[in-house]
Amino acid sequence: MASRRVFLSQSLGVAVLGGTMPSFFSQAAAADPLPALGVSIDPRNVLVVVQMGGGNDGLNMVVPYSDDAYHRVRPAIAIDDKSALKIDERIALNPVMGGLNELFKEGNLAIVQGVGYPNPNRSHFEATQIWETASPERPVSTGWLGRYLDRIVPASTADSAQANLFTAVTLGDTVPAAMIAQHVDVPAIGALSTFQYNSGKDTASRLTAGRLYDGARAGQSPYLEMIETTARTALRGGDILKAKIASYKKTVTYPTDAFSQQLALAAQIIGSDVGTRVIFVSIGSFDTHAGQRNQQDRLLGYLSGGLLAFQKDLAAHGNADRTLVLTFSEFGRRVSQNASNGTDHGTAMPMFALGAKVKGGVYGEHPSLTDLDHGDLKYNTDFRSVYATVLEKWLARDPSQIISGGFGQLAFV
Amino acid sequence: MSKLDTSTDPQVGFRPPGTLDIATALERYNGPFGRRQAAHLARRTGFGPTPAEVDGLAAHGVEGAVDSLLHPREPEIDFTSYPDSAKLFDPKVRNVTAVMWWLDRMLRTKRPLVEKMTLFWHGHFATSINKVPANYMVGQIDLFRSQALGNFRTLLLSVSKDPAMLIWLDNRYNFAAHPNENFAREIMELFALGLGNYTEDDIKAGARAFTGWTLDKDGHFIFREALHDPGMKTFLGRTGPWNGDDIINIIVAQPIHQRYLCRNLLEYFVYSDPEPALVDALAQVYALSGYDIAKTVGSIIRSNVFYSTRAYRALPKSPIEFTLGLLRYMDVKQVPADMPGWLFRMGQYPLAPPSVKGWDGGPTWISTSTLLARFNLVNRVVKAAPPRPAAAAPAMSPASAPNLNFFAAMTPDVVVAQAGGLDPGKVLETIVAGALQDDVTSDVRQTLRDYLNSTGATLPVPFGPENYQEKVRGVLALVLNLPSNQLN
Repeated sequence: MASRRVFLSQSLGVAVLGGTMPSFFSQAAAADPLPALGVSIDPRNVLVVVQMGGGNDGLNMVVPYSDDAYHRVRPAIAIDDKSALKIDERIALNPVMGGLNELFKEGNLAIVQGVGYPNPNRSHFEATQIWETASPERPVSTGWLGRYLDRIVPASTADSAQANLFTAVTLGDTVPAAMIAQHVDVPAIGALSTFQYNSGKDTASRLTAGRLYDGARAGQSPYLEMIETTARTALRGGDILKAKIASYKKTVTYPTDAFSQQLALAAQIIGSDVGTRVIFVSIGSFDTHAGQRNQQDRLLGYLSGGLLAFQKDLAAHGNADRTLVLTFSEFGRRVSQNASNGTDHGTAMPMFALGAKVKGGVYGEHPSLTDLDHGDLKYNTDFRSVYATVLEKWLARDPSQIISGGFGQLAFV
Repeated sequence: MSKLDTSTDPQVGFRPPGTLDIATALERYNGPFGRRQAAHLARRTGFGPTPAEVDGLAAHGVEGAVDSLLHPREPEIDFTSYPDSAKLFDPKVRNVTAVMWWLDRMLRTKRPLVEKMTLFWHGHFATSINKVPANYMVGQIDLFRSQALGNFRTLLLSVSKDPAMLIWLDNRYNFAAHPNENFAREIMELFALGLGNYTEDDIKAGARAFTGWTLDKDGHFIFREALHDPGMKTFLGRTGPWNGDDIINIIVAQPIHQRYLCRNLLEYFVYSDPEPALVDALAQVYALSGYDIAKTVGSIIRSNVFYSTRAYRALPKSPIEFTLGLLRYMDVKQVPADMPGWLFRMGQYPLAPPSVKGWDGGPTWISTSTLLARFNLVNRVVKAAPPRPAAAAPAMSPASAPNLNFFAAMTPDVVVAQAGGLDPGKVLETIVAGALQDDVTSDVRQTLRDYLNSTGATLPVPFGPENYQEKVRGVLALVLNLPSNQLN
């Protein structure tokens, strides 16, 4: 067995300079010796993680509309009181998010306010690594979802013909840090139509291609083994996915943007009985240093419209009760607007948890807009508490096996 | 002492096995220089050589070959004949036109190393059409090309005044009254020093130094003194009334900068996660050269470590290397209009790196879906049948594609003629030698011969006059899809 996952785990000792690794980072994570928690939790539950790449401005997504300070520091980019979609007497949703407002009113949207972590990092890359590895203190090479996968997929079967290739799926062209595991290879699926070997009528070519990807030799480039393993997975997985997913009938029309189309595919995968537990979806370009309103409003519109269609699609196929969506971004943005009608890299932000089984409402405190840390919001809920909540209450795993340090849990599940 | 933080480099862990002989690593290589060594040099310094180009480089010998790459004497192709070149600097130029323009240069250039370094700088100073209008992107690529093998200090200064960069990292809005820190942060984190080698205070001081570096109404660089903060700043331990030029001089003088850039060059040309001792040795060459890129790259591609077995096929091909290498081997004369869509699915849409960090490269090129895209691209090019227009990425697909009906001039008849007849064994050896310099094991050869000789429902007779067209295209696809063709 060899792929990115293994080689990264070999380099872990280099990455963790001078630190003592918690055991769960270094364990080979063979079949989990401990039983899963929460026997009443549906073992078919699915977690859909939505990455809002670039650093989403939380204050214009969940708007503290009643706070004078908000309007004072954002004269050009504030959401006006009239159009804001009011949640309560303090906060409102951005007016482009009618879909999510609808889901909130139905009690299916939890808003977790003021999420962050100590000593926040303002680099896109480091902050993304921190969120995706759930390890702010030191770099580690596996993602939080990857460590979950290592727990639920026995290492001994990870590369066998019986292994489920679709336990976790990335919708997109590259696997994010969150999905990097030690022994589970996560397929990246850009689109169904492209996720298969296409040699037309020449079926001998497909068979021969399979044979040609067996057998790297010791002492060769570590890339060779990785390429061969990944290719075998790809060839086999394409055949399986095509066969299984063909019968799924879409009942909902999704918006045409790329993000919503990815959610349509996610619903198809969830509904197609390929044993998927985790799906990672991304929507990008939230890095609004200039001209923020146009750009962020457009993206939040995609987010909201796509997620509303997704919920309806899931419900129509009886999958709403076993699907939970969690959104995150690598950081929020500065409280004050900058000179370009944008905002620079900041800190805390809200997260959304969404689903038929989610206990809708507002969790955590909205951070003060005047009691700031160098111009930035102070967090009050650690993002690892949100992860721990989902791991234990939704995916039935002991979070202490997956996330370093003990974190209190929230009540949204 | 400051150090390189490699903890977020996904290529860590992919260093080739074996031991570096640091004493001789950067000394000039004087071993054999045949077709394999020439092809290795050509793959790393270009976009996949044709068999004829390999023979040409091999005939030069290593010194002559390296010299021809660093100081090309052959006149460059006249690219003004490109169909859309007149539109390139028009503000309304379409993104895909700019992408096709660049891919065409990579396909046809007589100066592959210049273009390969242009691509390196594009990844290094990663700027994207997702924010910057395409005409500015074309200008930036032209800038990279003109200084591809020049002086890094000069290049960094030029990039700091480049309109595309001023737009990309918002320095056009960096004014004394409201400093914008985006550019100051990235010039240190990504362009010159690497993470951990500066403080948040250095970013603030750097941002103040670059205040007033902005664009005029025509989109050209202008220094607006009224918007500049002339006050004292302490930057990387030095205090003065610094402006942007001073900041760049202070940055490039940092020893950590020399190692940072040299490590990136080694990962581009030699292998992943190079040994710190090798990085330090190259950093000395670079520093002594006065930041001369040609001398530094020349030192790499003449060196023992470059021609060592540890470096041979030790890097995964980037999607651009894979695609252009395929087109060039198959003798496709013009970049097919659906190539940007394929590159998007393989994870490297030119002019649109995924973030300010550029492309991570190495293992991140390899995923199930990117490999399937590579396989299917090969299957499509060897057959050279017109694609359905919908096959391109929706957001970026060309609306009026002029050349969907491309064809590969490396036809089965050409292959058979090169092989000297309709002999399956000779056909296979011709392809394996031309495409892969014989880097194929005997087991794999046997499997490929079995394919050529197999019968089946769609091809009911063994290799022969009736079906050699299909069989030769089929075996071309299988060879070009071999694991060794994924490695550069």
